[in-house]
Amino acid sequence: MNKEVDAAYDYQVPLITGKPTFGWITEKVSSIVESKTSKEWALLFGLASSVMLILLGSIGYLVWEGIGIWGLNVPVGWGWAIVNFVFWVGIGHAGTLISAILFLFRQKWRTSINRFAEAMTIFAVICALIFPGIHVGRIWAVYYFFPVPNQMDMWPNFRSPLLWDFFAVGTYFTVSFLFWYTGLVPDLATLRDRAKTTIRKKVLAIFSLGWRGGNKQWKHYELAYMLLAGLSTPLVLSVHSVVSTDFATAVIPGWHTTIFPPYFVAGAIFSGFAMVMTLALIARRVYNLEHILTLTHLENMNKIILTTGMMVGYSYSMEFFISWYSGNPYETFIFMQRAFGQYAWAYWIMVSCNVFIPQLFWSRKIRRSIPAMFVISIFVNIGMWFERFVIIATSLSQDFLPSSWDYFSPTIWDIIMLVGSFGLFFTLFLLFIRFLPMVAMAELKGVLPQADPHHAHEGEAH
Amino acid sequence: MKENMKPNSKTYWRSMDQLADTPEFQKIVEREFPEGASELKNPVTRRNFLGLMGASIAFAGLASCRRPVEKIVPYVKAPEKMIPGVPKYYATTMPLGRHALGLLVESHEGRPTKIEGNPEHPESMGKTHIFAQAEVLNMYDPDRAKVTSSKGVESSWDAFKKFWKEHYDALSAAKGEGLMILSGEMASPTMQRLRKELSKQMPKAKWVADEPISGLNMHKGLLAATGQALQAKAHYDKARVILSIDHDFLGTDPGSVAANRGFAEGRRVNGAHAEMNRLYMVETAFSITGGMADHRKRLTQGELELFTRQLANALGVISDNASVVDAKWMNALVKDLKKNKGASLVVAGFRQTAAAHALVYAINQVLENNGRTVTYFNNPDLILQKNSASEMVDAIKSGSVKTLVIVDRNPVYTHSALNFAEALKKVDNVIAFSPYWDETGHAAHWHVPMSHFLESWGDASDVQGNRSVIQPLIAPLYKTISPVRFVNMIVNGTDKSDADIVKATWRMKSEKDWRRVLYKGVYDTQLKPVNAAARMNKIAGLVSGQKADATKPTANALQVVFQASASLYDGRYANNGWLMEVPDPVTHISWDNAALISPATAKALNVSNEDMVTLTAGGKTLDIVVSVLPGMSENVIALELGYGRTQTGRIADGNGFDVYGFMSGNGSYTLSGVTLSRKNESYPLANTQDHNAMEGRPIIREASLEEYEKEPMFAREMVEHPPLVSLWDERSYDTGYQWGMAIDLSTCSGCNTCVVACQSENNIPIIGKEQVRNGREMHWIRLDRYFKGDPDNPEMLFQPMGCQQCENAPCEQVCPVQATLHDEEGLNVMTYNRCVGTRYCSNNCPYKVRRFNFFNYTNSYPETIKMLQNPDVTVRFRGVMEKCTYCTQRIQEAKINAKNEGRLVADGDIQTACQQACPADAIVFGNINDPESRVSKLQKENRAYKLLEELNVKPRTSFLARIKNPNPELETVA
Repeated sequence: MNKEVDAAYDYQVPLITGKPTFGWITEKVSSIVESKTSKEWALLFGLASSVMLILLGSIGYLVWEGIGIWGLNVPVGWGWAIVNFVFWVGIGHAGTLISAILFLFRQKWRTSINRFAEAMTIFAVICALIFPGIHVGRIWAVYYFFPVPNQMDMWPNFRSPLLWDFFAVGTYFTVSFLFWYTGLVPDLATLRDRAKTTIRKKVLAIFSLGWRGGNKQWKHYELAYMLLAGLSTPLVLSVHSVVSTDFATAVIPGWHTTIFPPYFVAGAIFSGFAMVMTLALIARRVYNLEHILTLTHLENMNKIILTTGMMVGYSYSMEFFISWYSGNPYETFIFMQRAFGQYAWAYWIMVSCNVFIPQLFWSRKIRRSIPAMFVISIFVNIGMWFERFVIIATSLSQDFLPSSWDYFSPTIWDIIMLVGSFGLFFTLFLLFIRFLPMVAMAELKGVLPQADPHHAHEGEAH
Repeated sequence: MKENMKPNSKTYWRSMDQLADTPEFQKIVEREFPEGASELKNPVTRRNFLGLMGASIAFAGLASCRRPVEKIVPYVKAPEKMIPGVPKYYATTMPLGRHALGLLVESHEGRPTKIEGNPEHPESMGKTHIFAQAEVLNMYDPDRAKVTSSKGVESSWDAFKKFWKEHYDALSAAKGEGLMILSGEMASPTMQRLRKELSKQMPKAKWVADEPISGLNMHKGLLAATGQALQAKAHYDKARVILSIDHDFLGTDPGSVAANRGFAEGRRVNGAHAEMNRLYMVETAFSITGGMADHRKRLTQGELELFTRQLANALGVISDNASVVDAKWMNALVKDLKKNKGASLVVAGFRQTAAAHALVYAINQVLENNGRTVTYFNNPDLILQKNSASEMVDAIKSGSVKTLVIVDRNPVYTHSALNFAEALKKVDNVIAFSPYWDETGHAAHWHVPMSHFLESWGDASDVQGNRSVIQPLIAPLYKTISPVRFVNMIVNGTDKSDADIVKATWRMKSEKDWRRVLYKGVYDTQLKPVNAAARMNKIAGLVSGQKADATKPTANALQVVFQASASLYDGRYANNGWLMEVPDPVTHISWDNAALISPATAKALNVSNEDMVTLTAGGKTLDIVVSVLPGMSENVIALELGYGRTQTGRIADGNGFDVYGFMSGNGSYTLSGVTLSRKNESYPLANTQDHNAMEGRPIIREASLEEYEKEPMFAREMVEHPPLVSLWDERSYDTGYQWGMAIDLSTCSGCNTCVVACQSENNIPIIGKEQVRNGREMHWIRLDRYFKGDPDNPEMLFQPMGCQQCENAPCEQVCPVQATLHDEEGLNVMTYNRCVGTRYCSNNCPYKVRRFNFFNYTNSYPETIKMLQNPDVTVRFRGVMEKCTYCTQRIQEAKINAKNEGRLVADGDIQTACQQACPADAIVFGNINDPESRVSKLQKENRAYKLLEELNVKPRTSFLARIKNPNPELETVA
C-alpha cells in the first residue's frame, strides 16, 4: 500500500504539511480577511457582480414580459430554469456531505476544505432557489405554495412533488446555514479578538455571539456541532432524492423510474465535489494555501469523484437495461432517442464528461496533478449540467403521442440566466473569502500534531 | 380620432405618412392599435417598452381624443324579454358564393358571439363548416374598412350617394352603356330581383359574376350535358360507392357541411356486422377527402382527364381508348360502381374541365345515379359565372367599361395574373364595395365599406333552392353599407333600408309570416329536382374538343396545381386570425402557404422543408417556400391560394405567398412545364406537427371492414397491459352525472371545424406565427394527423385530441397549488385564479393537451375583439395553464335550465362546441352514467377504445376505431 495514501486515513500522519504552529494558522487564515482589498479581488468581484446584475436585470425583464422569453413550448414545459435548479442543488451537496458525513466518520482531512465547501453549499442553494421561484408563470402568486391558513381557503397540494421539493430544499438550506454558522463562531471570535477598529470589533462581537473560548463553551459547541452534523446527514441524502421525485413520480417515459433517488444523490455528490475542487484549486493558488490544502486532500476528493462518477455511469447503463428489460415501448424509445436521436449530442457530452473522463483518475499521477484535476473537475461540472438537461428536455420532447413532439432550443434569456447564476454564485463566494475565514482555523488546529497530547514530538516517523 | 376630423380634410389613413413619414414612426403608430398577433411576432424588439411609451406620448398630441370617454349607464328601460347574462339565438344565413348555410347565432346583450348551424336549415342541419365558425371574428375585425372613402381620403356614404346620383342619370340615359357590375356568384332572391331590374332599366349594362375558385367548368359541363343551367346536389348518404375525381368535397368545397354529414352517415359502423360506403379517390394533390379514401390513386391533371374518359369508356358512355390506370384497378372500380347502380356516385372537382364534368353527368346517368344519389336543380335565384375572368378583363381592357362597380370582389389581388390593376386604369370610375380597404379598394376611385352578414339584411338560397333570410344580429359596427342596400343604390339610384329591400322581394302576406320565416330561418323550397337526359352528342363533342395531355411531368417540367386554402379559401378569410392560425389539416402549417412537393420529387430536385425556391413558367416567376408532403403526385407542386396579401389588414398582410399572379390567367388551375430552381435562402414555417408517424404505437387504431368483422374487439385487444390496480380505493364516480365523450375516427374527415368552433366558444387567443413556431399554439382541441404506410403514397389519419378528462388524472396529482382538480361529475377542472403556472401539469399530461399562456396574449385586444369574447368563459391572463373543459359553461347552463324546470339534464341537452359544429357528427358528448345516453352506447361499441389506457389514467374520452372498407378485389393492386 502506498504510504501517503494510507496517511490520509490516519490522523497520526500530519494532515497539514510543513511545520505549522497554532499562531501560524491563525495568522495565515486571518490575514487574508484582514489585509487590504487586493486589486485582483476587486477585479474579480467587479466582474462577478456585473454578471450578477445581468441576472437580476433579466429576472426583471422576465417578470415584466412573462416566461415566454425562454425557449419553452408545450411538450417541453420545463427548460433551463429547472436544469439550472437541479444543477445548483446538486452542487450544493458536497458542502454538507464533507462537513456532516465526513465529520461523523471522523475523516479529519475534511477540516481544510469544510468551511468553504459549506459556504459553497449555501451559495449554490441560493442560486438554485432562484430558479423555481422565477420559473412560474405568475411570480406574484408564488405564496400559494405556503401552507398558511388564509382567507382564500387555499391549501397546497401535498401530493405534488413540487411541494416536497419546496420543503426539502428549504430545510436543507436552513440546516446547512445553521451548521456553517455554528462552525464559524469560534473563528469569528478569533477575528474579533484581532480586530483593530472598534466598529469591526463590535460587528464581529455581535456575530461571534459572545464566544470566549471557555471550556464549557467548547463542550457545548462540540455537542451542538455533532448534533447538527447528525441532523444534516439524512438531509444530504433526502434533498436530491426528493428533487428526483419531481421526475420519478411523473408518468413521462424517461422520468418514470425508481432508480432516480440514489442516482440523483450520487450525481449530486459527484458534481458537488467537482465544484469544490474547482474552487479549492483557485483559492489554494491565490492565497498560497498549499500547506493547508495538501495534495493528499485533493487526491482523496478525486477518489470520491471517481467513485461517484462510476455510480452515475452505472445508473446510466442501468436505465438503459431497464428500459429494454421492462419491454415498455415508450421507455425503450426514449432511451434510444437519448443516445441516437435529436439530443444525442447532449447525451454524449454527458456520458463523456461524467463517465469517460473521470476514469483518468485511476492513474495516481493524474489524481495528484493539479492542472489535470482542475480540467477534469470542470468537465464534470459541464457533464452534470448536461445530465439534467438530457433528463428534462429529451423526456419531455418526445413522450407518448408523436403529434405533439417538439424540439427545445434555448433563447438568449435562457443562456443569460445560466451565466448570470454563476455571477451570483461567485459574487457571494468572493464576498465570503474576502470577509470570512475560508478555512476553519479552530478545527484545523485540532488536527495539528501538537494538539494531540500523545504526540508531543510531531512528525516523528512510524 | 375620426370623430373630430373634418370630412375631406386629407387627414385620413395617409395622415400618418404625411405627418411623420419615417418607417420607425409608422411602426410605432401601428402599435398604437395593438393586437395580439402582430405584437408577438418578435417579443423583444416589438414590445419595446420605451418605444411604446414614446409612441403613446407622440400620439397623445396627435389624437388625444381617439377614444371618447364612455359613461356606463344601466338600462333605464330594459328591452323587453332581455335577461342579462342569458344569451339569445337568432336564425340567419351565411352566403358563400352560390352556397348558403343556415345559421343560429348566439347573442349576448346584443353582441353576437358564437355561430352554430341552424338545425331547421336543410343544408346545415345544425352543423357548420370552418368558415362559418370563423365568420363572427370577421365581423369584429378591427381592420375592416370603416368609412366610405374617395381616392383614399375619408368621405361618406352621403357623398358617394351624391356622386352616384349624378352618374346614375347619365347612365340611365345611355341605357347603362359602359356600366359593369362585377360580383361574386350569388344565390339570393333579392340580388336576382335587383339584377333583373338593372337589365330592365339599363339593358346595356353588364352584370358579371366571377369567383377566384370558379365553378365555371362545372356549369359549362352541366349546361352542355343537359342544356340547362343546373346545379348538382350530391347525396352522399345514399351512395354506397363513391368515386371522387379530384373533388375535395369533405374539405375546401363550400358544400362540405352536407357532404361530411352524408358521407359520415354512409360510413358509420354500428355493431359487429355493419355496412359502410366505399370511397375511391383520384387526385393530384393530397386532400383530406383523399385521406378518407379507401382507395386513392395519384394522377396528374392530364391523367385525370384521361381517367374520366377511360371510366366513361368502360361504362360505355363514350368510346375512347384512354388508358391511364391499369385495367385491373379500373375493372374493379367499374364492377363496384355497376354493382351499386343507383347507389353509387361520381363527382368531379373544380379543376376538372367542362368535358370531364359533362362526362361525369353521363356516367352518373348510366349508373342510374341521377335523381337518386345526385339531384339537379335549376335555382332561379342564382347569379352564376358565365364567362372566364379573362373575357371580363378583356372587356375592361377594350375600354368599353366606363363605370365599374365591384361588389365584394378583390380582382386586383385574385386576377393579378390578368393584370387587373392595369385594366382598371382604363375605367373612368371604379367603385369598390368590400369589407376591407384591400388591394382593389386602394386602386378604386371610391371605396364603400361592406357590412358583414351579421350586420345586414339580405337573403340567400341553398343548392336545393331553400330560401332563407339574412337577419342582422347587431347594428353595423362602423359606417358600413349592407350588400343589398349598396346594390339597390347602384341599380335604382335610390337609398333604401336593406330591410325594406329584402321585404319587397319576399312580399310576405303578413308580418306574422315574415316573422315566422325569420324565426325558423328558412322558407322551404318549392323547387323540384330536374330530370334531364344526357345529351350524348354534345358531351362527345365537348370531349373531342378538349385536348388531354397525359405527358408525365418531369423534374424539369413540373406540373403546378392551384387549390383553395383549407383555411382562407380564396383569400377572403385572410385577415381572420383564427383561420390564419389554425394549422392546415394536411400540412399542419400555420400562418403560411407553401409549395407542396412529394418526398421523392423533393429529393430529385434537392430541396427540403423551408427552402426558398423560384418557380418559372411562361415567363412568370414565383418565389415560394417548399414544404414536403407525402402523398403528392410525383413532379407536381400544389400551391394554395389566398395568402400573401399586401393591403388588407395586420393578420393578412405579409403572411404566406401570393400565388394568384403565377396562374396562367386562362381559367385553368393547372400549369405545365414549370421549372424549379433552389434559392440559397430559407424561410421559417410554423408547423404544429413535426412528426408524422405513429412509431408503431396504437394511437389511431384501424382495421378494414373485413378484419373488423373477424375480430370486432380488435381495438380493445390491441394493447396488452397488466391489471390496472391502484394503491388506494379510488373514487368510483358512479352517481349523478358523469360526463364523457366518444369520438368516431371512422367519420372524422379532419375538416378542422371543431378546432375553430372551440376557439370561438372558449375565447382562445391567437398568438402569431413566431409563437406557433415556438410550439405554443393554444388550441384546446387539436387535430392530430398521421401518415401511415408507403412514404410516397401514405394513408392519412386524423384524430381530434382534446383533454381526455382522466379520472385518475396525472396533471392533478402534480399541481402544487391544487389549481387543477376533479369535480364529482368526473371533470378535470382548471381554476385559473389559483394557477401559478409551474407547467408541471402539462409536462405530466400524456396527451399534451394543456396550453400555457406564455405571454399576456389577451391584454392588448382591440375594443371590438373584446366584444367578441364569450362572457361565459374566463379570458385568461398570462402565466396560467388552460385546456379543454368539455365546455363546462354549457354543462352549467344545461344544469341550471334543467333545475329551473325541475328535471334532469336529458341526453342531448348539452352539446360541446366541437360536437355541435362537427358536420360529420363524429363527436358525441353526454352522461356516461346513463346507460341509455348516446355516448354510453358508443363507449360500449366494439370499436371503442381509450387511448393510453395502460397508464391507468382512466380517460373519459373514448375513440371509436377507424374502419376502412377497401375493395377486396383490389387488395393486391396498388
